[in-house]
Amino acid sequence: MSTATRSARWTLDYPRLGTGPLPVEPYVSQDHFELVRDRVFRRSWLCTGKRTDEIPRPGDFLVQTVEMLGASILVVRGKDGALRAFHNVCKHRGNKLTRAAFGSCRAALVCGYHGWVYGFDGRLASVTEEDMFFDLRKDGLDLTPVALDTWAGFIFVHLDPEPKETLREHLGELPALYAGYPFDALSVSFSYTAELSCGWNVLRDSQLEGYHLKYLHKRTVPGSMVNRADPSRHTLDFKLFRRHAVGSWYGARSGDDTGPVGRLAARIGQTLGSAATALSDPNRWPVGLNPTRAADWFFDVCYVFPNFHIIFVGLHAFATHTMWPLTRNRTRWNARGYFPPVKTLPERFSREFTKCGIRDLWLEDGSMLEGTQIGLESGAIREIQIQDQEIMIRHAEAVVHEMIADGAR
Amino acid sequence: MPRRLPDAFAELERFVDAWALPSETARSRKRLASTMDEIQAFYDAMLPKGEAILAHLAAAGDPATDADLPEETRTLFRLMLSLAEVAPAVEIFRQPGVIDGLEAARFVPDHESADWKAR
Repeated sequence: MSTATRSARWTLDYPRLGTGPLPVEPYVSQDHFELVRDRVFRRSWLCTGKRTDEIPRPGDFLVQTVEMLGASILVVRGKDGALRAFHNVCKHRGNKLTRAAFGSCRAALVCGYHGWVYGFDGRLASVTEEDMFFDLRKDGLDLTPVALDTWAGFIFVHLDPEPKETLREHLGELPALYAGYPFDALSVSFSYTAELSCGWNVLRDSQLEGYHLKYLHKRTVPGSMVNRADPSRHTLDFKLFRRHAVGSWYGARSGDDTGPVGRLAARIGQTLGSAATALSDPNRWPVGLNPTRAADWFFDVCYVFPNFHIIFVGLHAFATHTMWPLTRNRTRWNARGYFPPVKTLPERFSREFTKCGIRDLWLEDGSMLEGTQIGLESGAIREIQIQDQEIMIRHAEAVVHEMIADGAR
Repeated sequence: MPRRLPDAFAELERFVDAWALPSETARSRKRLASTMDEIQAFYDAMLPKGEAILAHLAAAGDPATDADLPEETRTLFRLMLSLAEVAPAVEIFRQPGVIDGLEAARFVPDHESADWKAR
């Protein structure tokens, strides 16, 4: 990296983003929350954070609740192998078809209230005591569809009955960046959910920068994010797109700086302390992963607007964060880890160590997020300060404001 | 009292009741309910045996379910999972829980729910 490059500031390449402080108001205002609901979340593809391989067989289903938009969405695999999404609402009198988060039906979806039966394709198959209804037009009583599409195995839904854009259009440049990433060789290894007393954007911001890892996670992050050649610079690269953004972060992971149990675990499988660039040649990674091909690479963040983050920590390891706004200052957070499946007992021990370490790191995030919301709501500050390497926060806020402004036209 | 661990690890017998627990939720609760002296005693007894325990566990191959394991092996494995659970307490925080962390009980492991296991 040349000296000239080092002195640059990414933010200066995006004059429309400015360099000043950002207002606190979007993090605390009820009016703003409602605009975000109506003009951003209701009009965007939302990643469920769940994957197609979680419901592999015909009749397997999952339910995604989107409280902000008052929706319960049933995603079910059809006999033809295709995934479809429907409102989880019986056409008889509106009962929830299922209350489970995951499940499997043998032959059909059956409402527990009065036994109406639907096919996995959403078609109304039969009505109990049908002869007692009046002029029942069954062909108009199929389940109400919800737009669904997938990328890299992740299931996305759109709550607009007629989305203005396809998922491909929404994703833009992202699929090309990660083409060749072995998403399908990895599976969800652990998944945690918490309801936090903070706004969705406070949670969003916490995963859009690497700045805090050197401080909040000083105990839990193995290795050093301190770049001795350039102590203030901990980011390797940013790319900002129309809505999404990606970043890449420095970290000299040697694997030797974890404790004794971590060293036992690292001999068996990748842990957070393992140097991912020593496990496989980064020059052969997908173009978007560690794009500067740095040996001292820690992780990349791919922000899939508006509610999903992928944190890549290696060619065979990533985490995800899915954000579901509940109210102005309540958010459901689903954090997951994806790794190659483990089989033997030593592999499972190694994975348990990795899981416990990442979980404890996420607990550090959780309490900080709630403390931040209290601070923002206290009235003590009206602005927040954003440094160059927090540019993804500045960009995310700008995109939200653009969508709100566009929605008014 | 019948032995509950393989012969080579008999001296860990005294930790079985407290630490050979069947789930992450149970192991996490035990960690948080223990004193650092209790955690450290368990850690100090387990760590020097870690390599030997992993070698023993490797010999169990690739079991389809834990129910297929010999009971002694399953118990030893659970002790090893508890070592993974307490490692951050000993090596990082020097206290049972995460320093200034979110209350662990609020961070629900979906992977231990009945719905998840039914997938």
